[in-house]
Amino acid sequence: MNDELIRRIVRNRAVYLMILPGFLYFIIFKYVPMWGLVISFQDYRPYEGIFGSEWVGFKHYERLFTDPLFWRIFRNTIMLFGLNLLFYFPLPIILAVMLNEVRLAAFKRFVQTAVYIPHFMSWVIIVSISFVMLTMDGGIVNEGLASLGLEKQNFLLNKNWLRPMYILQVIWREAGWGTIVYLAAIAAIDPQLYEAARMDGAGRFRQIWHITLPSIRSVIVVLLILKIGDVLELGFEHVYLLLNSMNREVGEIFDTFVYTAGLRQGQFSFSTAVGFFKSFVGLLLVIIANWLAKKFGEEGVY
Amino acid sequence: MRKMWKKTAVWLCTVFVLGALLAACGSDDGRTPSNGDTASRGEAGESGEGTAKPEPFQLKIMTNLHTPEVPHDEIEKLLEEKTNTQLDIQWVPDGSYEEKLNASFATGSLPQAVYMKNQATYIIFRDAIRNGQFWEIGPYLNEYPNLSRLDENVLKNTAVDGKIYGLYQERPLSRQGVIYRKDWADKLGIPEPETIDDLYNMMKKFTEEDPDGNNKRDTIGLTDRSDLIYGAFKTVASYFGTPNNWSLNGDRLEPEFMHPGYMETMKFFKRLYDEGLINKDFPVTSKDDQQNLIITGRAGVYIGSMPDVQSLHAKTAEIDPDAEYDVVNRIAGPDGAAGVWSIPGYGNIVLFPKSAVKSEEELKQILSFFDQLMSPELANLVKWGIEGKHYTLENGLVVKNSDTKMTDREQKPYEILQIGGESTIDMLKAYHPLPVKAKAEELVLDNNEILIHDPAAALDSATMGEKGIELQQMITDATYNFILGQLDEAGFAKEIERWKKQGGEQMMTELAESYQQSQK
Repeated sequence: MNDELIRRIVRNRAVYLMILPGFLYFIIFKYVPMWGLVISFQDYRPYEGIFGSEWVGFKHYERLFTDPLFWRIFRNTIMLFGLNLLFYFPLPIILAVMLNEVRLAAFKRFVQTAVYIPHFMSWVIIVSISFVMLTMDGGIVNEGLASLGLEKQNFLLNKNWLRPMYILQVIWREAGWGTIVYLAAIAAIDPQLYEAARMDGAGRFRQIWHITLPSIRSVIVVLLILKIGDVLELGFEHVYLLLNSMNREVGEIFDTFVYTAGLRQGQFSFSTAVGFFKSFVGLLLVIIANWLAKKFGEEGVY
Repeated sequence: MRKMWKKTAVWLCTVFVLGALLAACGSDDGRTPSNGDTASRGEAGESGEGTAKPEPFQLKIMTNLHTPEVPHDEIEKLLEEKTNTQLDIQWVPDGSYEEKLNASFATGSLPQAVYMKNQATYIIFRDAIRNGQFWEIGPYLNEYPNLSRLDENVLKNTAVDGKIYGLYQERPLSRQGVIYRKDWADKLGIPEPETIDDLYNMMKKFTEEDPDGNNKRDTIGLTDRSDLIYGAFKTVASYFGTPNNWSLNGDRLEPEFMHPGYMETMKFFKRLYDEGLINKDFPVTSKDDQQNLIITGRAGVYIGSMPDVQSLHAKTAEIDPDAEYDVVNRIAGPDGAAGVWSIPGYGNIVLFPKSAVKSEEELKQILSFFDQLMSPELANLVKWGIEGKHYTLENGLVVKNSDTKMTDREQKPYEILQIGGESTIDMLKAYHPLPVKAKAEELVLDNNEILIHDPAAALDSATMGEKGIELQQMITDATYNFILGQLDEAGFAKEIERWKKQGGEQMMTELAESYQQSQK
């Protein structure tokens, strides 16, 4: 058996060599650093190292779960994630289907490029543009409201506006970019299906409903599962830029908390514990989502 | 034949990709990737040195950078030449300095000399200092003619458990005061403000009585930013008699926000906010935007560092040549007394990590570099730049080059390297052609008469190091919420209780213990 394996490896050495860089990448940058999680069970002091630091068991986890801030952060994270799933996730699908129906190729390509562009702008730029538009001191939105005789809104300092602002910015930046995978999936659909449907007298909407969407269903499910895996990855940079004293109550999420506790205050062990908890929840959700997907007869991600 | 070719191609590809991967791993040892130009500079210096001189001493320094670009290296070259040192300065943007500092510390990659940026970051490192991660330098200072002149009282403020670990940079104890549009005040017949009520009236009139004469209500009184300390808040709090961070009550230490003066200050700001006398977005306003409001003639009062009047004046003059500024410092509170909060006499501080400085001998060489840096010649070089280029002398006083873009790029970043300052080094002094700037500098000195010191500056609390930033954040948020009307007095009191419960109480106890020890 072993000889057989070695022989097969030798025979296909070129393939194995090509896998090697990716394999090494995962070992070096993903698996080895995982040992760093050990420090969440220690009072880690950089100069004493992982082997020298005092072992404290679950102390940091206890602190996390008893911290009154914990539930607030947990709630905020789940809330933003839920909104993200509800409002952002379907948009690229709709956009991709709509783009697919555009008949003029040049126009389609133009729109495609145009909706990709925001993805290449950093969050700093997106947030700054919003800031300039929404400020009370001469921002275009508030000036518009005022000229319509409506009351000015302090969008930036009102905690009720944080979530809508977050979602709108995510849509603005990512919706176009998100269409890529769906467009590729749509392009792979057998054109004969459409021809047959047309023969049967199906209109455009019928074709979308009965051919396009069912054909990309498995892609949608896979992306949904992956998205759920990212449940607590809401984009540190983005949320951090939006945070201020007035909206922290609804805006502080795990990522920003890890930053404050870990990098600004040097509490490496505690912030590792927080990060670990976050990843653990993400893993749990992926397993559940995958299991559900399989239950409903889809392929899932593994 | 074709198959052969294919095979070779696969091999080549693999080797190439692997090579790239390894190169990416290897290039990152110890140098900051953010400023590629230190690397190339270092190598250029190595070759072509004369053989007569002793081998230059290699010194790596990490410090914060206030300008957007890594500076031109002309001054650095001169420093290297004068001290026979080969410098490698890692410039880290000021905004992300704490991050970089903690990350470098965690990975053991701090360089030989590390600037701490300010008191707050320094406090975070106390625990590491106590654990012997940095060299204690107190006993060596007397061996150096210049370093031995550092002020003992200030050194004491920087000490950890009574031992001295860092060299400090002097900072005037308090530069805080009020800058206002003199021409507006004259036009509306407002005299120089003497009390907090005068100040309020000035802001009100600036808002309501059309000081710019365009018949539109488009001006506000005060321009402020998202900073409760270096913005207007803390300085106004001083006028209301609030203690500076902590107050000593018997042998108990109480935080400033438990003092009634703090509440009065919040009410004052709430009034400004409710009546529209302050920019509505101030909790998210940057320093640039804040200054722009006064520069473009939309606001009339700026509370902060008085010497800023120089740059405010210069920028305003481009838009409105008739604009005039004035500065004032002694604003009396409700009880008739004026006060202003102070810092503990140092700004930046330099530490020497044991992870990078291996031997006492090496430490002495580094100290000798800083000793030379404190000589009048080099102190002038880092503070003012090169004569004839960055400044000229007039009656023995420095007149800075007015091309601030050039000086920002070439000279200003190096000011951060200075150790000591005017009171410990016999160095050149500045000439202020602008009378109001000269007045501002006088008032900075005058502030020394009315200082409110932080009684906890030299005290120590483990909780402060661990949770200080988090706890402070809580109070900062509550303060803004109060000013904007989202929190009432009872709500604020509740936040204080929360602060106490989550570590504040412990912090108070620890500080009191530390205080009692210091009294022995």
